Amino acid sequence: MQLPNTICLIIIGLFAGYPSFLLAGVEIKTDPQTRLKSYRLQQGGFKLELVQRLPDQTRAFFMARGFSKKIANDIALSCVFQTIGTNISDKTNPAAIEVSLKDWRLKVNNKEKKVKLKTAWDKQWSETEVNKASRIAFKWATFPSYQNFSNSGDYGWGMTSFNLPPQTVFDLKIVWTQNKKPQHAWIRSIECPEDR
Amino acid sequence: MKTALKLLFTISLLLATHHAIAEQGLSLLTKKIKAPDFNLVDMNGVKHSLAEYKGKPIIINFWATWCPPCRRELPSMNKGWSKIKNSGINMLAINVGEDEDTIFNFMADYPIDFKVLLDLSGDIINKWPVNGLPTTFVVDKNGYIIYRAIGGRDWSSDKLLNKVRALNH
Repeated sequence: MQLPNTICLIIIGLFAGYPSFLLAGVEIKTDPQTRLKSYRLQQGGFKLELVQRLPDQTRAFFMARGFSKKIANDIALSCVFQTIGTNISDKTNPAAIEVSLKDWRLKVNNKEKKVKLKTAWDKQWSETEVNKASRIAFKWATFPSYQNFSNSGDYGWGMTSFNLPPQTVFDLKIVWTQNKKPQHAWIRSIECPEDR
Repeated sequence: MKTALKLLFTISLLLATHHAIAEQGLSLLTKKIKAPDFNLVDMNGVKHSLAEYKGKPIIINFWATWCPPCRRELPSMNKGWSKIKNSGINMLAINVGEDEDTIFNFMADYPIDFKVLLDLSGDIINKWPVNGLPTTFVVDKNGYIIYRAIGGRDWSSDKLLNKVRALNH
């Protein structure tokens, strides 16, 4: 089987210059022990992982940081995922990645919704309901509403609330920029963790 | 056939290269930012300001005990500290929002030999360009932020520490 050299060069060029095109994809896994699902998107210089958090885990975390049972429960039942964003670009194809959660969209029952940002949560609590120390913990334990990741090994993590009831299935449009160029990808049929 | 095999080999090589995780390092800030000063107490209640460290480079890490990447990173910072402590370079870990008792208990499992400062009100972290934990900065002897690392790093790595050592001349 002989391929003309020009075709070989074109194919190699595609892989070298636009590896994201060929490597884009979503991987879904279920942890055999915890039965928690995780969703991993890898496209271009960006990798995003969403890992289901059991409401019990989230409830316990926030109650240990001074939240009342009621508010910790509100957060815990709002479809919370541990979110990890990583700049995976390498030296040969360095990329600056910027992520802004306000640009993300979720689709549930054919309706589009925005991600509930940490500022929206913070605003809904009165001063008597949630003290300053608890608010600090919430602010820093949740995924940054905005973050820029350089290719020096930067990554960020934190909880993201999609503000949906347990076991809701939704599609998520993830939006970011790579070297200032807008990018997006969908993760389909994400399942909000059940309240076991 | 040979050409096809060569092609497959080249493609596999390119894929393997692309899958390699970005090398860990420090981001050089393109814009010079003056490091915001602070006045924070350490674990013994003694106040410290950034101004008192002027004249030598300093590594400043923002962290919390409940932050998993912080817990993975701190032991490497402790190892890094043992390598640089006699060189005049300083290292600080600024805890965000937690009290002495919580940090004290944490340090039983994760010993920290360098200074830990308490940003109990979270006011200091808000003045620094931090969006998530852990974030670490390298400040030069003139008080400017030179490098930033978002997420954990292996601070026991000489390759990483050499960048800080280079600022100490």
